[in-house]
Amino acid sequence: MSVSAVREPTTGAGSRLGALPADASGADLWRVLGAENRLAGVYRGNDPRRGVDTAALSALLTDLDRRFGVGSTLAVTVPLATCLPLLAAGTGPAARTLADSLDGRTVVALAATDENSGCDLAGLDTSVSFDGEHLRLDGTKRWITNATTCGAVLVLARHRPGPHFTNFTWVLVPADAPGVRAEPAGTELFDGSGTGHLTFDGVRLTRDHVVGGTGRGLTAFAAHIATERLAGALWAGALCERVLRDTARHLGRRGDGDGVLWEKEGIRQRWAGALLRSRQHRALTESLAEAVAARRDTSAAALLKASAGETVAHVLDVCAHLQGAHGFRTGGPQQLRAQGALFGIGGGTTEVVLGIVAETAPESGAEERP
Amino acid sequence: MNQPFIDLLTPFLPHLGDRPLTEDSRLHDLGMNSMKAIDLLFAIEDGLGVSLPDEDLNDATFATAGSLWAAVQRAGAAEGDRRAAA
Repeated sequence: MSVSAVREPTTGAGSRLGALPADASGADLWRVLGAENRLAGVYRGNDPRRGVDTAALSALLTDLDRRFGVGSTLAVTVPLATCLPLLAAGTGPAARTLADSLDGRTVVALAATDENSGCDLAGLDTSVSFDGEHLRLDGTKRWITNATTCGAVLVLARHRPGPHFTNFTWVLVPADAPGVRAEPAGTELFDGSGTGHLTFDGVRLTRDHVVGGTGRGLTAFAAHIATERLAGALWAGALCERVLRDTARHLGRRGDGDGVLWEKEGIRQRWAGALLRSRQHRALTESLAEAVAARRDTSAAALLKASAGETVAHVLDVCAHLQGAHGFRTGGPQQLRAQGALFGIGGGTTEVVLGIVAETAPESGAEERP
Repeated sequence: MNQPFIDLLTPFLPHLGDRPLTEDSRLHDLGMNSMKAIDLLFAIEDGLGVSLPDEDLNDATFATAGSLWAAVQRAGAAEGDRRAAA
């Protein structure tokens, strides 16, 4: 097998995107992509209501992964996969914000995870109450991508007590509304993502800031988090292939005795094992992409999310080790390993999504149990 | 309950077994959890072509097969009225 077994992507970038520095923030990327009309292009018929065009989304994420940092790519991926399709279900403020987002004039953050409940969305405390034509929002959301850079936030809140899935509602909150406070998260791992914590203290808005209908919060989340999981799987594939290429290139240049490290059979086999995992993930993604993109198949999306988390962890672990001390450079695979843990945590941990896989797999025999 | 509704609902009830589905059948007792209920709502809206109104999105609607069937019928009638008015 040659060191070029994982091909360089051939996707091009628009001129303005190509002119951005490698450390450009996600907000910068969003602005340029919108101005170049590349955001609408990831949706079928340029319409977020019709779901994503998998090939277009994959090409864009591959391009961003190749050029920019993990944090900045993350800051584009989340609103593209989840926020804009959610906004497309709304009217009034949601419709205006969607138009501004598609043009790159504003970034929308997705605030689902609560301060205390984590992945257990049915246990979240953030509340929305209604008073005639107005609503009031109170609560705290943590580790929210684009929290410090967004122009508006989609907030998942409960309008009734209890865990029933119909007790939750999306509210669109302008970031400059009285009572909204954002603070950056204490991390250096996701530069450019604007990741932070959001507090909503008696935020008062008109009722038309409800998005998608009262009681449809978890339903809409389930439909659109599936797309985010597909996007994560596509990005994970691009990331693994890029790091495998970089690693093979390094091994082909790194001297060892009279030759180079790439000529050592044990090293080649270990690299090829990681390539196998990457190719398996790519094949799984291609086989399930349509089910997620067109039919919002939550089980298929969970399988992709689990595969992305485990594949990224394995490939980056192998590549970081194979690159030796060189792997510790800034932006190298050791740093990527820490950042790549995101694929097994953000948007649902690997354990949570594997639980969904077990619950929904026909082979589990769940339907036969009393 | 008509047969298309029963056919649509049954796969979401893993504990139903060979028992007949009646209007009093309690969905939670038959294995309906939140995740299945969300997928069921997708199936109702896609398969039966009706969208449950916000006021019917509550735990009472999803309590029994009969309560869900009643909500689907109401939504279907409202949809018919909208089409007739258009």
